[in-house]
Amino acid sequence: MKNGNFSCGSSVHGISRRQMLGSLGGLAGFGSLLHPAIARDIQQGKKQVCLIWLDGGISQYESWHPLPDSKFAGPFRSIKTSIPGVHFSELMPHTAKIAHKISVIRTMATKDPNHSTGVPRIQRGDPLDRGVDYPYLGSAIAKLLGPADPDLPPYIWIKPGNGGFIHREAGFLGAQYGALALGDGRPPVHIHRPDNVSTQLDAARNALRQKANERFKAYRNTSDVDAYETSYDMARQLMARKEIFDDEKLNQKDRERYGTHPLGRHVLQARQLLEAGVRFVKVNSYHWDTHGDNFNMSQRLVPQADQPFAALINDLDDRGMLDNTLVVMMSEFGRTPLINSRLGRDHWPDCWSLALAGCGIKRGAIIGDTTRDGAFVDGEGYDVGHLFHTIFSVLGINSRRVHYRHKGQKLAIANDDCEPIKEVML
Amino acid sequence: MSVPPLDVAKAWPSRELEHGRQLFRARFSPDGRFVAAGGQDKLVHVWDLEKDEKRSLNGHRTWVSSLVFHPKEKKLFTADYQGVVCCLNYVRGDNPIWTIPEADRNNVRALAVTIEGKYLITAGDDAVIKVWETLNGKLVTKLAGHKECIFSLTLSSDGKYLVSGDLLGSIRQWSIGDWTLIRELDARLLHTRKENFIADVGGVRSLAFSGDGKLLAVGGMKEAKSNAFCPGKPTVLIFDWDSGKVTNELGIKGKSDGPFNALQFLDDGTLAGHTEILHSASELTFWKIDQPEPFHSIKNGSGYDLSLHPDKRQLLVPTYVTGGSSGNGGRGKTPENYLTNTSVLRIFSLFAKPVEKKEG
Repeated sequence: MKNGNFSCGSSVHGISRRQMLGSLGGLAGFGSLLHPAIARDIQQGKKQVCLIWLDGGISQYESWHPLPDSKFAGPFRSIKTSIPGVHFSELMPHTAKIAHKISVIRTMATKDPNHSTGVPRIQRGDPLDRGVDYPYLGSAIAKLLGPADPDLPPYIWIKPGNGGFIHREAGFLGAQYGALALGDGRPPVHIHRPDNVSTQLDAARNALRQKANERFKAYRNTSDVDAYETSYDMARQLMARKEIFDDEKLNQKDRERYGTHPLGRHVLQARQLLEAGVRFVKVNSYHWDTHGDNFNMSQRLVPQADQPFAALINDLDDRGMLDNTLVVMMSEFGRTPLINSRLGRDHWPDCWSLALAGCGIKRGAIIGDTTRDGAFVDGEGYDVGHLFHTIFSVLGINSRRVHYRHKGQKLAIANDDCEPIKEVML
Repeated sequence: MSVPPLDVAKAWPSRELEHGRQLFRARFSPDGRFVAAGGQDKLVHVWDLEKDEKRSLNGHRTWVSSLVFHPKEKKLFTADYQGVVCCLNYVRGDNPIWTIPEADRNNVRALAVTIEGKYLITAGDDAVIKVWETLNGKLVTKLAGHKECIFSLTLSSDGKYLVSGDLLGSIRQWSIGDWTLIRELDARLLHTRKENFIADVGGVRSLAFSGDGKLLAVGGMKEAKSNAFCPGKPTVLIFDWDSGKVTNELGIKGKSDGPFNALQFLDDGTLAGHTEILHSASELTFWKIDQPEPFHSIKNGSGYDLSLHPDKRQLLVPTYVTGGSSGNGGRGKTPENYLTNTSVLRIFSLFAKPVEKKEG
């Protein structure tokens, strides 16, 4: 969808009530693209998702698959996990203790070694080319499952840097399925009605807006305006739930358990949003592209993922939420077995690792065989299409039966040539 | 045999010692007969330059991070990324004479031996300098004060002081013997932590005193652009040792994006340094320290250390060699032809290459 759908033409805005429109408007017409019976089944579910995205590519050797006796190993220790016989890097001591609650796939084999094309390709599930821009996973889930709580946007993205409404992630689904991004985890601005705007004045403003929209509709395609209308109502409802953006309510012990670094704070905030009922929360951490000084950087970066990931899994488990909440921690690829001239590792889509937990995912499963040095898949690897089928399946979406419809075209929701990864599913 | 006059501008690679894995540290022995090196393969490799033989010594279970010779005895001290320090007989021994199993919480990044050979000094990730007896590896004392991991150690030219440098750019001068902190010098230029970084980058990667002890050269890189590629501007700060003030800042003319991991003053006051670069050729660089730009450089692969031969006419550089598969993705490589990167220990002679006599 072109930026022209927004009055300013920009894809990223400072968040305000107005800018929440898109994410909330996605609720309208949810069922229209799905078979009604399937849509009803899906809506009954309370499945939620948290995607922790380590942008740039975490090294599998310095995390999930250390292989200390391999010629490609880094210098770090390999430590025992709570699964007998399974070892992680010493940089993941917290996750090692909860390994029995998660699954690790060590044989992801994807096709794109570049960030610029690889990130969208992975987050869209690398579908077969149908001449359309597929939605990112969060937007797909927002479309396919709708909001878990009707008063909350279905897709919230916590990220460093700027926030705003990121409509480009929605692809052909349309802007309303984009992500409401909380820049640096900050709540949307203008979420509080200013003190100098009384309840009566606010109501009068809304009435004026509705009147203006009616006039606007008279001369134009009404669907966008309807989405704005619905979304405005949702935004007003969200204002009533502003406490979920209040990180002052998070207790100090939790902050320490998750870590005070950005990723720790943001994953804790994700837990708060999941508890509140947000369907899909993505948490981004940038600067994992360790072409230079990989070992000094991994020593400092990997613990920043380890600590909050393990804390989140434990907290969701303790709260009885893990069985209905899928947690995925991954990057767009892994890092080369070879160590380059800057003591870094380059991009490696050929054989890399990711972790999944909760919501129909086996506990304590380590999936996939690699060559002895970990460089290549031994046998068949899994592409991201397999991962998308798996994610949809554990969320209760039949990725073979359910299709998108776009301008009359029936579109598979995941790569037609792939299947769910049965080994990782309950 | 007469020693040829030093002539850096005519320096040339006079000998190469190849090794099948990447090596990060290398040193000439005090008598110049041996070269010891360590790196990825968990072994310490010793070349006898006279006999042209190589031996490999055990003692480490992970990458070798640092090594230093005893000035008088046939002992070599080596350290690794998991905190182990070994004392090896580099002439005859196979196994360590003694081992310190936990000299640091993690990586022992730097070693030094006092000039009379009595004390071994270690420093690394836990930011605490530790002093040990070279005789038996017994702990003598600990020096606390650094707030982040320590990358480098050196001794003042008169042997009275220990100098340490850390990730944050703090340089500390310690008195050897009573082990007290004398002062702190500021090299924070070599540390970068921008608002959007998720890790500190850079640090004091190398230290070297001039022969007269009046100057301290401090190597690293400044203005790192990210904590991912970690590209920065290789930089040397020259400190006037008396005042503790920076008197000059040295850079390079050519391409390079990594830190100076090693520095070495030569007899005539020339400073030599070597840096790294991603997927390209780096350089061995020479400065007159009153001039910001080098007066000479020699193209070389990325180099991680420098050691000056006791004859003061040869420099040893452990140099990166690509195995042919560098860069992103496998690009059709298979387990059979995806090869490790390797090293060459390149010895540069710092004088004009002798003219070969024509036979007949």
